[in-house]
Amino acid sequence: MDLALTQSQEMLLAAARGMVEREYSKENLLLLESGDTDLAETLWQKTAAAGWPGILVPTKYGGEGGSLTDAAVLLQELGRAPAPGTFFSTAVLGVLALMEGGSEEQRDAVLPKIAFGENRIALAATESRYGWSKSLTLTRATASHGGYLLHGVKLFVQDAANADLLLCTARMGDGEVGLFLVDASLPGVSVRPLPGFVSDTFEIKLNNVEVPQASLMPGGRDALEQAILQSLPVLGAYQVGACERVFDMTLDYANTRIQFGLPIGRFQRVQDHVIQIVNLKDAARWTTYEALWKLDESKPDAATAVHVSAAVASEAYYQSCNAAHEVHAGLGIMREYGLTLHTRMSRTLYHYLGDPTHHKVRLAAELGL
Amino acid sequence: MNFELTSTPEQETFRAEVRSWLDEHAPPDMEHPADPGQLTPGGYKKQRQLGRALGKKGWLYPTYPSEYGGGGLSAEEALIIEQELDRHGFTLPPYYDSGGKLGAASIMVWGTEEQKAAFLPPIFRGEVRTWQLLTEPEAGSDLANVQTTAHREGDEYIINGQKIYVGSTHGAEMSWMLVNTHPGGPRHQNLSWFMVPMDSPGVTWAPMDLLFAGNERGAASGHKQTVYFENVRLPAFNLIGGENNGWRVAATHLELEHGLMQTSLRGDSLWERVVRLYKEDKSGGTPLMDCPDAPNLLADMYIDSQIGRLFHLRNYWLQSTGRPVTYHGPQAYLHVKRSALRTAKALHRLFGPYALTTDQEVGLEDGHVEVQQRGSIVAQHPGGTVEIQKVIMARRLGIGRGEPQKSGRLK
Ligand SMILES: Cc1cc2nc3c(=O)[nH]c(=O)nc-3n(C[C@H](O)[C@H](O)[C@H](O)COP(=O)(O)OP(=O)(O)OC[C@H]3O[C@@H](n4cnc5c(N)ncnc54)[C@H](O)[C@@H]3O)c2cc1C
Repeated sequence: MDLALTQSQEMLLAAARGMVEREYSKENLLLLESGDTDLAETLWQKTAAAGWPGILVPTKYGGEGGSLTDAAVLLQELGRAPAPGTFFSTAVLGVLALMEGGSEEQRDAVLPKIAFGENRIALAATESRYGWSKSLTLTRATASHGGYLLHGVKLFVQDAANADLLLCTARMGDGEVGLFLVDASLPGVSVRPLPGFVSDTFEIKLNNVEVPQASLMPGGRDALEQAILQSLPVLGAYQVGACERVFDMTLDYANTRIQFGLPIGRFQRVQDHVIQIVNLKDAARWTTYEALWKLDESKPDAATAVHVSAAVASEAYYQSCNAAHEVHAGLGIMREYGLTLHTRMSRTLYHYLGDPTHHKVRLAAELGL
Repeated sequence: MNFELTSTPEQETFRAEVRSWLDEHAPPDMEHPADPGQLTPGGYKKQRQLGRALGKKGWLYPTYPSEYGGGGLSAEEALIIEQELDRHGFTLPPYYDSGGKLGAASIMVWGTEEQKAAFLPPIFRGEVRTWQLLTEPEAGSDLANVQTTAHREGDEYIINGQKIYVGSTHGAEMSWMLVNTHPGGPRHQNLSWFMVPMDSPGVTWAPMDLLFAGNERGAASGHKQTVYFENVRLPAFNLIGGENNGWRVAATHLELEHGLMQTSLRGDSLWERVVRLYKEDKSGGTPLMDCPDAPNLLADMYIDSQIGRLFHLRNYWLQSTGRPVTYHGPQAYLHVKRSALRTAKALHRLFGPYALTTDQEVGLEDGHVEVQQRGSIVAQHPGGTVEIQKVIMARRLGIGRGEPQKSGRLK
């Protein structure tokens, strides 16, 4: 047994930490939150220049051919910021969906571009009845002129702002749910941000969008399911990194904020909150990294571990933010302090790719219950 | 026992009078933005107009003595006014005002006859609204640590310092504040309590950018402010309760703020919204989200709201019958704060991302559900954090001390 990261993973982590602290600084993230799109573009280009989007792309397509655990190390550092989801949507979910479900032609065309940061992807799966099972797909794909017409509304799509390609689910003539790789600039595609306590969440309207036959991904909805399963603990690592940062901020504040002549960390009620965060974060970390290991090693019970980690990590991030708010009181709700960047992200990630209830139901099924 | 709030025939006549007056005088086009930060100047003006009209009748602050501009009415009558206003979607007062709810209680107990006559009527008649200026960067839970100073020069005090997380959108005519009048003096014996006209030269303020624009109970404040004092001169007349006696003056309003001021016997409008959403989704065919736990979550929400209602009902009964009230205020406040977080989580689990967006087409109930997600986090802190409510409860119960601590003077 060895629970340590490999030497190259440690090196990746250190490089990523430096870069994330520099580029995805609190100041920059607050600007992104206020809608600075130029900065979003600049930061993506810098991320691409570091070669990161190719982390999971096999070497024959110009990528690094890394393991899920390698990708997780990167995501963990992005989560500390918390950096926007474009990287996850493109370099993790997007790449895995192409690997699982794309045609050779689609992989050839897109994977090298992703590796070089030239393409960004968003997953357009959820609709008016929110959830992550395929029975909820209402968008239609109708055969037309040797291709398809896509028609419907995708709701709560993450990271669609600068996406070049959409991974889009649609119900086919035979009732099955198909998966399409859609050029987001096609006529009939309209993307609208949804305001509120969300991070980079969009509505996408598909108004009789004409797509070629070749945009249909042969792996279909089942391939997407596989890609999501593999992506989940990589997203979990992002949540682990985020929890670590929230913990660091909170511990630091508990040690430096003086009230009644004492650091507030000396009050046992405050200690309770800090201890809650460390417990949540460690539970998330070890369930996540075991799930990653099981996927990388193709263990037969990997899915079980994935659902455990997904339920644990989403809950951990949500509750860590709540506990951090207790400790910070007034300061924590000031936007410029930066804790609310995490709170907002923790809410979005709570339901994204299935909320803890969803994963507990799947877990029970995996356990034969 | 009888858990029903019953009214005498006289009270029912009073209710009818209030109702018909409100039907005539409550403007139909009052603003009720989900996010209190979005109340427009026009909307605020209407709230104040209604306040002045209520004030003229003595219904703005019904239980205060009529000689100071209050209504001289009983707690039961005040509750009737509050219930009738609630039917129109307003609180009493219909705008954010710390003066009548809290500050006035301290002035009633600690002010001289001249001070009561000068400061109370404008508040009770709705001519003046006031902010409460307590918190400072170094004085949050540890309120006694305020660093803003006042020193006497002849018949005046000169004030310097800064208050944070205070006030509201759209300004105020008056504030009351706790300052240090004896730097280096013994704790709790170095503070003084002042009434401050907000147009005094040297007073300035700027809005804070917070996760949510205010979430105290009662009428929403909107944006909290930072208020700066630079050589602000106040007549010594504005010092209430004497120099270095401010901690005891503050104990009066803190007692009320720690859970006693709100009758909260109004309906639970969020609950009604949620049930409507849930039922309409069902009957409309498509629930907003797959949620196998829905009935359980809704039942938990209902139970929380029942406990909250009963804690407040009990407090109202204790107070209005002159029974001792000790840990009960903070207990009710603690429940309100804690159940708000549970409700936020339940709504997120019930409605998924729908609960998080204010989008006009996609969001729920004109943003009222999203607002609860942010507001519940912010609501943990005002009027003393969750931990401080527990600290007070422990003291009042005498946990670990044997001797229960006395509550602040209310009379
Ligand atoms: C929406 C809102 C409205 C507000 N309105 C007003 C207003 O109108 N006027 C006004 O004056 N102020 C107002 N406040 C300020 C509010 O009263 C303070 O934020 C609150 O008292 C906490 O102070 P703090 O933020 O400095 O936190 P701190 O006191 O620094 O607390 C930090 C942490 O330490 C804990 N802690 C501190 N002391 C102890 C202890 N002895 N035992 C255990 N734990 C402890 C706290 O519980 C918290 O977890 C408002 C705040 C908010 C959020």
